[in-house]
Amino acid sequence: MNGLDFLIAALKAIVILVAVIQVVPVMIYVERKVAALIQDRPGPNRVGPFGLFQPVADALKFLLKEDPIPHYTNRLLYTLAPFLSLLPACLVIAALPIADKAILFGREVTIQIAELDVSLIYILAIGSLGVYGILFGGWASNNKYSLIGSLRSASQMVSYELPLGLAAVGAVMVFGTFSLREMVLQQEGTLLGFLPNWGIFYQPVGFLIFLISSFAETNRLPFDLPETEAELVAGFHTEYGSMKFATFFMAEYMNLATMAGLMTVMYFGGWHLPWITDAALLELLGSQNLLCLVQVLTYIVKVSCFMFLYVLIRWTLPRFRFDQLLSLSWGSLIPLGLLNIIVSATLMYLIGVKQ
Amino acid sequence: MVFAIFSVFTLLTAAGVILSRNVIYSALNLVLCFFGLATLYLLWGATFISMIQILIYAGAIVVLFVFVVMLLNFEKPIDQSVKLPLMLLSGAGAWGLAFLLLRVLSKSVGEIPILESNSGASVRTVSKLLFSQYVWPFEVLTIFLLALIVGIYVLAKPEGEEKK
Repeated sequence: MNGLDFLIAALKAIVILVAVIQVVPVMIYVERKVAALIQDRPGPNRVGPFGLFQPVADALKFLLKEDPIPHYTNRLLYTLAPFLSLLPACLVIAALPIADKAILFGREVTIQIAELDVSLIYILAIGSLGVYGILFGGWASNNKYSLIGSLRSASQMVSYELPLGLAAVGAVMVFGTFSLREMVLQQEGTLLGFLPNWGIFYQPVGFLIFLISSFAETNRLPFDLPETEAELVAGFHTEYGSMKFATFFMAEYMNLATMAGLMTVMYFGGWHLPWITDAALLELLGSQNLLCLVQVLTYIVKVSCFMFLYVLIRWTLPRFRFDQLLSLSWGSLIPLGLLNIIVSATLMYLIGVKQ
Repeated sequence: MVFAIFSVFTLLTAAGVILSRNVIYSALNLVLCFFGLATLYLLWGATFISMIQILIYAGAIVVLFVFVVMLLNFEKPIDQSVKLPLMLLSGAGAWGLAFLLLRVLSKSVGEIPILESNSGASVRTVSKLLFSQYVWPFEVLTIFLLALIVGIYVLAKPEGEEKK
């Protein structure tokens, strides 16, 4: 690896990471505005036009507040926990393929920080480590509500990793690869002449399982049992304030962005526009970099749709009870996921797909 | 060089697991140790195994360990006075395991092939070997695990349920 390669790799990592972190302020604003819309009130409207600078005000408040560490906590783990939560959320972004190729300094550069051949498992594996932040945070707080919150979170995240993985196995079987980039490359063009050639049409059941599990994996309503306000004060982050609390918050939104990105890549064609191939688009636009820009925009629009869905569902559905949550995973989603694998395999054998 | 750093890291965290007084720190060290192992696999080019190592062990099994530790809540260090027969038994078990591992390792050292990384080869290699050459051990293990799951279910089933 020479200097230029190193520069490009570093540039990619920094630009993509910083870009994805911007999800957090945008989501804070969208979440508050949509909540206001659904509850028929104006929402943030004082800071800047349409309250657009509200996230800036929020961030400033978090940064400037006093950062207390309660004396009854385990100092080391209490301080470590928010970062244990944020670190995996940042690491997984490395494997998301955002667009195809751009020409940079006379080289072809793929818009993906790390081109792993097992990028799907990488995301699932590193993503599953996010639970430690919540677990240690709750335990180190030395507070019963926090502890109950983190125990709930642990059982929830372990339970929902299984249907998530099973749904992903379906997609892996169809595309015959663990590489997310290759998955996207295979979803170009049309299916049967009129449908976009997207994963959802091959794996509709898998997509549903994945979508439901992703809510539980990211601790979002209707599955936010680790932080039920009505029962546990605020769950695992009861004892956290100022920037440490905000770090947990950032991790949650970045996990959300990763899940939305995964669904876009696996089931909705990633960076591809529907019905038009990249080659045709390149001819239309005339430049590889312009094409790359269009691909990035396509990807962002698709991810935004999922993020909007998350927000919409958060403010419309009530919360599950904990036993309902676990029986949904072990009783319905996991058998359904296994069935999905068997049916997919049988169909693929009958049609004669050979990987 | 990188290999040496991560070997030392793995060994240090492994030592941390058994030397920590606080069980939570042991668990944290165990996670770090699995990370070190995963990195070593990665350096051998076995990307698939390395990721599975993190997914299964660091991501699921240690979470369950931590879960149990938190439920039991060991505040004080565990009672150090162990009975002699128990000590002998566990000592014999540990030495036996160490001997077995040493035998296996001494036979296979130098035979670890460095796979061509980042080509999808490792997944294919593992699954092909698993379903051709090693299909019998694999199936026996699956049946064994299935029996274990059924056994655990029978043991853990609440008594009241049978009366229904």
